Amino acid sequence: MAGLWGSQQITQIPELFRVVEDPFSGGKVVAVKALRPDYAILHVQEADEFGNARISGPDYQDILLTRASNKTILTTEKIVSTDSLKKDLKSVTIPHFLVAAVVELPGGAKPCTCFDLYDTVDPAGMKAYQAAVKGGTVQEYMANAVDNAVKGGA
Amino acid sequence: MQKKVMNLKDAAGLIKDGQFLGIGGNGLHRNPSVFCFELARRGLKDLKLVAAAQGLASDAICAADSVKEIYFGFFGFENEYGLAPGMRKGCQEGKIKPLEGP
Repeated sequence: MAGLWGSQQITQIPELFRVVEDPFSGGKVVAVKALRPDYAILHVQEADEFGNARISGPDYQDILLTRASNKTILTTEKIVSTDSLKKDLKSVTIPHFLVAAVVELPGGAKPCTCFDLYDTVDPAGMKAYQAAVKGGTVQEYMANAVDNAVKGGA
Repeated sequence: MQKKVMNLKDAAGLIKDGQFLGIGGNGLHRNPSVFCFELARRGLKDLKLVAAAQGLASDAICAADSVKEIYFGFFGFENEYGLAPGMRKGCQEGKIKPLEGP
C-alpha cells in the first residue's frame, strides 16, 4: 500500500503493517494484514427469508465486511419476498450464501439513522445512552432498548 | 436456498467469547444498534471488533466490558454527540487495545 509511506503507523502498529519486498519490482512496499472476522453484523432495509439483502442509500464498508467475514448476521427493517428483490437484481448486494441469520427488527438501527426510513439521529436516545455509560446503568439502557425494539416500537 | 429467519436472542446466541466481529454502518448511521445492545447484555468476553468508522453499536459492546481489541480508522459519535464513551473508558482503563488502521 503506497499511501502508508510517511506515516508513523508503519513502525507503531506492527500488528497491522509490515514493510516487505515487492516480488515484482524488488522495491519496498507496505503490506497490510488482512482481517477475517467470524461474523459481519449488519442492519439493512430489506432482506428475504434466505438472507438475500438490499441496502438503500450509502453502503459504507458493509458489502466488503460480508466478503471478508466467515458469515454475516442481518437485522432488517423488513423481510420481503424474493420476487420483490428480483425486480432490481443489481441492488441485491448481499447474497444468501454469505448469511447465517436474518432477524426482522424494524427500528433496529435506532437511535442511529437508517436511510430513507428514519433520517435523523434520535437525540433523546443518544443522551440516554451517554448518561447510562457515565452513570454505570448501561445494562438497564440496553435491556430497555432491546425490549422496546422487540415489541416493535424501537 | 435455506431459510435463516430467527429471533434476536437466537441470532445473538451465535456469537461466542473471543470471536471477531465486523460491525456495519458508519458513525451514527445504519448501525446494527439493537443487535449489539442484545450482545452487550450477554456477558461475552474478549470480542474483537472491526469497522472503518465505528459508532454506537460498537461502543455499546465496549461499554459492557465484552471487548479486548478494536480495529478502526475512526471511532466516535461525531457532531454534538462527541466521543464514544464506552470505547474511551475501556481504552483508558487498559481493558481494550486500540489498533488504528488506514
